[in-house]
Amino acid sequence: MRAAFISALIVGLCVLVGAVLALFYIAAGALGVVTGALFGKPYIGVAVANTITLLLVMVMVIASLLTLAERKWSALMQDRIGPNRARLGLPGLRDKALLGIPHFLADGIKMLTKEDFVPAHASGFLYTLAPMLAFGTAFVLFAVVPVAPVVSASEIPLVGGLAASMGVDPFPVSLQVAPGYDPGVLFIFAFSGVAVFGTALAGWASNNRLALLGGLRGSSQMVAYEIALGMSLVGLMMIFQTLQLEVMTDGQNQGLFGGILPAWGIFLQPIGFLLYFTASFAELKRPPFDAPEGESEIVGYFVEYSGMRFGLFMISEFIGTVVLAGVVSALFLGGYHLPFPPAWGVEEWLRSSVGEFGLAVVLGTNFVLKVIVLCWLQLAIRWTMPRFRFDKIQSLGWKILLPVALANIAVTGVLLLADPSLELLAIVGLAEILFIVGLTALYPKKQPASLVLPGRMMAGGTGH
Amino acid sequence: MASTKEIKRTAEETSQLSWYQRLFVPEVIRGLAVTTRHFLRNLFGGRDPSPDFAYRKGSLGNQVATLQYPEERAPYPVGYRGTHRLVPREDGKPRCVACYMCATVCPAQCIYIEAGEYEDDPIEKYPTVFVIDQLRCVVCGLCVEACPKDAIRMDTYQHTPPEYTREGFIYPIERLLKGPPVSYPSDPWLRRKDSAQPQDQHFPLHGVAAHSTEPVEPREPYPAGRNHPAPPVFTEEEVRKASGS
Amino acid sequence: MSEEKRAELVNITIDGIPAQVPPGTNLIEAAKTVGIEIPHYCYHPGLSIAANCRMCLVETNKHPPGKLVPGCQITVMEGMEIKTQSQRVKDQQRSVQELLLLHHPVDCAICDQAGECRLQDYYQEYDYKPSRLDGPKWMKNKRKILGPTIVLDQERCIMCTRCVRFMKEIAGDPVLGVFGRGTREVIDVFPGKTLENNYSGNIVDLCPVGALTWRDNRFRARAYFLSATPSICTGCERGCNVYLDHFQGVPYRYRPRENPEINQYWMCDVGRLSYHSLHDDRLVRARVDGEEVEVEAAAATAAKRLAEQGGRLAVVVSPVLSLEDALAVAALAREGLGADAIYVSGRPAGEADRLLLRADRNPNRKGVELAAQAFGLQVRPFDVLMASPADRVLLAGLEIPGDEAAFVEWLRKAQVVVALGTNLSPLLDAAHVALPLAPHSEAEGTFVNFQGRAQRFLAAYAPRGGARPGWAWAARMLRDLGQETGWNSAREVFMDLGRKLPEGSLGSFDWDATPRRYLKGVVPLPGGTVDGRPAGMRELLPLRSSGTAA
Ligand code: SF4
Ligand code: SF4
Ligand code: SF4
Ligand code: SF4
Ligand code: FES
Repeated sequence: MRAAFISALIVGLCVLVGAVLALFYIAAGALGVVTGALFGKPYIGVAVANTITLLLVMVMVIASLLTLAERKWSALMQDRIGPNRARLGLPGLRDKALLGIPHFLADGIKMLTKEDFVPAHASGFLYTLAPMLAFGTAFVLFAVVPVAPVVSASEIPLVGGLAASMGVDPFPVSLQVAPGYDPGVLFIFAFSGVAVFGTALAGWASNNRLALLGGLRGSSQMVAYEIALGMSLVGLMMIFQTLQLEVMTDGQNQGLFGGILPAWGIFLQPIGFLLYFTASFAELKRPPFDAPEGESEIVGYFVEYSGMRFGLFMISEFIGTVVLAGVVSALFLGGYHLPFPPAWGVEEWLRSSVGEFGLAVVLGTNFVLKVIVLCWLQLAIRWTMPRFRFDKIQSLGWKILLPVALANIAVTGVLLLADPSLELLAIVGLAEILFIVGLTALYPKKQPASLVLPGRMMAGGTGH
Repeated sequence: MASTKEIKRTAEETSQLSWYQRLFVPEVIRGLAVTTRHFLRNLFGGRDPSPDFAYRKGSLGNQVATLQYPEERAPYPVGYRGTHRLVPREDGKPRCVACYMCATVCPAQCIYIEAGEYEDDPIEKYPTVFVIDQLRCVVCGLCVEACPKDAIRMDTYQHTPPEYTREGFIYPIERLLKGPPVSYPSDPWLRRKDSAQPQDQHFPLHGVAAHSTEPVEPREPYPAGRNHPAPPVFTEEEVRKASGS
Repeated sequence: MSEEKRAELVNITIDGIPAQVPPGTNLIEAAKTVGIEIPHYCYHPGLSIAANCRMCLVETNKHPPGKLVPGCQITVMEGMEIKTQSQRVKDQQRSVQELLLLHHPVDCAICDQAGECRLQDYYQEYDYKPSRLDGPKWMKNKRKILGPTIVLDQERCIMCTRCVRFMKEIAGDPVLGVFGRGTREVIDVFPGKTLENNYSGNIVDLCPVGALTWRDNRFRARAYFLSATPSICTGCERGCNVYLDHFQGVPYRYRPRENPEINQYWMCDVGRLSYHSLHDDRLVRARVDGEEVEVEAAAATAAKRLAEQGGRLAVVVSPVLSLEDALAVAALAREGLGADAIYVSGRPAGEADRLLLRADRNPNRKGVELAAQAFGLQVRPFDVLMASPADRVLLAGLEIPGDEAAFVEWLRKAQVVVALGTNLSPLLDAAHVALPLAPHSEAEGTFVNFQGRAQRFLAAYAPRGGARPGWAWAARMLRDLGQETGWNSAREVFMDLGRKLPEGSLGSFDWDATPRRYLKGVVPLPGGTVDGRPAGMRELLPLRSSGTAA
């Protein structure tokens, strides 16, 4: 009963996402036609439309729903129900829990209407700037993430006719704010670096020594992981010989071993994937790396913030989650490409049956689903792991991630030199994956000896 | 007795993780597997709304233990000490005789009583004021134990409901006097109609009262042990029904 | 003890303990001398012997073996050996208890005696068995109103006839009698009579159980909550010794305290009811011109106005004030204000009776006169006060013998009227400064009764509100007038000023002879209560003090 309902909900969600993406395409195309007719530069319209639809609509909606999802999903992981008591006082909806959605609306209203408190002697301008920096840098990263492939404007329903009637030549439309932007991955690194300012400024400008300490913890942690973050992607850059995410995405669609294995980043660079995922987590300051803020235990860098200023910090964390999911899926999980071996020719078959535009919508939906699953994975990690001690965070970053990343670069370079067809790399990558899976499966049944407290010690007074 | 050195070494060791744990990744994956198992079970499985949440059986292994209070309420165990009630007699007056036993024994000193005098009742003392401060009450039930008249009970199977003010938790006699009435054969109001000497009383050895000139019907002989009858026990439903809540 | 004296005594042993007692002593009193209690209900040292309760039966060697004799009735003989612990005695005590309880209602829950009931105590000590009666008990009148002050519960009565004997022998008003026989035996008033006597309250004290209750405080407090403080009745100049029973700052009753020289075991109803004024209509805040002010400011204002106003000064002292208060006020009048005489006011005289009550209803007239003498002040009667107008009046105590309205008129003519009083009174309307006075329940001190006996009383609880003892007001005013007194307690006042009293006027009185606390122990309880009562002490009252009922 419930299983059927949930499955239907998921299918409905996919259909909804598809429809929305189709609308996005149409909007981008239409605006492109308009700017093409006015200035002869259709890409301006496409970019403007994508900024609005992808950033303001898609990312914002997913991020704000994540605030609710975090509570609902964590509830399910912990055998609870989660928030379901807020109600919309509208006729017909009065007694409906609506999956808890009113809760996040109520949250927003609460944030917006709460007292906007500025502590005495806070540095006014910087105090206001900090949440903006935190929010903006997280937000802007999505500009380079390709959501759906390029189609010609003439293929898009309505837009094709419009373009023809307005005399605009067909132009490429993709769901990406900044397509063909050369720095690509470097853009991500750059703005991740700027995000440190948000944290450090918030701590410093609040005129609160505990917030300052929180800000210091935050910035030292972010600086520590930034290097590992950068190093972890060098392998991919070398493999695909580009910095642009859409090029990398398309590069992953090539088949290895005669097309039975897509050349996804995760197969070629499993270590790189782990490193990037971990480092990004630390960059986001989400549990288990939340020592800088630690909502319930440690006074964090935004302790002095209230209302929507605090809301910006909070939502930027969720936007960061979405962006991380997008980047990881674009870099390591084949982006918008379907998870089938290229040899099967699923995409070609789709192209022939539903047309170029239909395929693009299906691929875009596929991408969004990957993003959602990765978001879920991040939350699951959050609700699985206990928090790292701060010195452990630092030693993990400097002593483990960084050397491993360097080693990964070296190994990748050697393997690439040895076999430019990537197949050797894939074999090593698969072996690594197998090793980890094997380790996990071969969990030592015996408790590790070091965890067993000798009975003598218990009797000696350390016990009860 | 372990040597100091030995203990120190063991303590150091216990703070270390094993090599396997220090790999992190397998442990994280195993942890994620647990989390995911719960997530999927609870997402797709249907919840069993039975209030006996310790014994719930949801479909597809759903393990959600949440009790959706107030729609679902955990059943109180037999003998649960609910909010107090002052037990009424059949005529609606409280059984309580304002003896202060409960106020004397109450460890929280939350019972306040003032006594009054009936002119025409078999029991001449009664409480004009009987107040329990439910906020102070520690629900120990000593008042119930202390009461010589079985006049205060905690058999309502209700806990103290919330109030908007502190004053609301101070229950006056009107709020306390509820539930089914209780009488024992030895209760004075079943044996006499006021505090004056009954003229028709009967005593096995003496016959009827000396001052009576009227012949009276001999009464049924009293069954053995009636001075110590077992107290009637009420179920939660009976209390609810009788107190109209 | 000299040999001759010893020869007059009778040698006996009680449970093996040798003792010498005067001939004619009964066994109960004789056992008391060696600290052994023979349980008894009907015996009372102030009454004739009835020997009808049979609780006091003991064995002696002067009577046939196995025969039990009543300890209340039998007097000692030379060489008598008394056994109070033999099995036979114990069996007898248990049987008597069981018989007394057979038709006893045991409604201790609603019985005012519970906590000080002999039946309860002796049941615990000598019986402690469940009832063997398995059937209805015989019912009697539970609420027989004997008179304006007394209610009788015939069911609870154990027919000890103490009440009957008291009314006949002590009160001389034999209205009570025993009616019926056996189970149906009851105490009642004789037909057509009511129990209206000024000593009726004593039968409530005498009654060893809760049969007789005092309507004035019936059901008002459980006896075991009350604390007892030794005090003096202020109803008349006899100064009967009493216990003031109180709970958390509220007085509940007076009980007579044994004093063979003054009141023996008794007190009168007039005095017994006088405790109400300790609680009702009290003046608790100092007032200056009708405005409530703090204690210090009030005293300062009073002193300043009295000192600055010139003209004729009238110091009026009420003989309800204690000796210490009177001494301090006299010091204030003499040394602070330069007076040369005091006027003695006081409650109007009433009817005297042949037993205890005296016409003069003031407890300390002698004391006030002594205090005046100590300071060389003339003592003038109240009547002459109003002959001429005064400019400044110091009223210490608001009790006046004459017409209140006329006195208020007279007061209004004065420029400054400073009044110290315990209770609200019409006199306060004419007072410019009103200072609340602590009555004898809230202060320590001494009263000197009409025989010239000085008697100490103890403070039962802290003074209410801004009330202070008279000496404390006088000390404050003296200080404001530039004379440091150094008095911090009534004792210091007495030690300081008592030396000025005429030599030997108080006989062998020793201020410190009265112990400060009579309590057996305290049971502190944490926290307050639902009605805001402060953290409490549930003090034990002296039970079974010698001679009194309980
Ligand atoms: S349950 Fe305990 S604390 Fe509550 S009123 Fe009764 S005796 Fe007092
Ligand atoms: S103990 Fe029972 S009878 Fe006594 S006052 Fe309390 S409720 Fe009333
Ligand atoms: S007289 Fe004593 S035993 Fe009898 S009811 Fe009163 S307290 Fe209880
Ligand atoms: S009423 Fe009291 S004093 Fe009088 S006979 Fe009965 S028990 Fe004794
Ligand atoms: S006291 Fe001796 S018989 Fe009652």
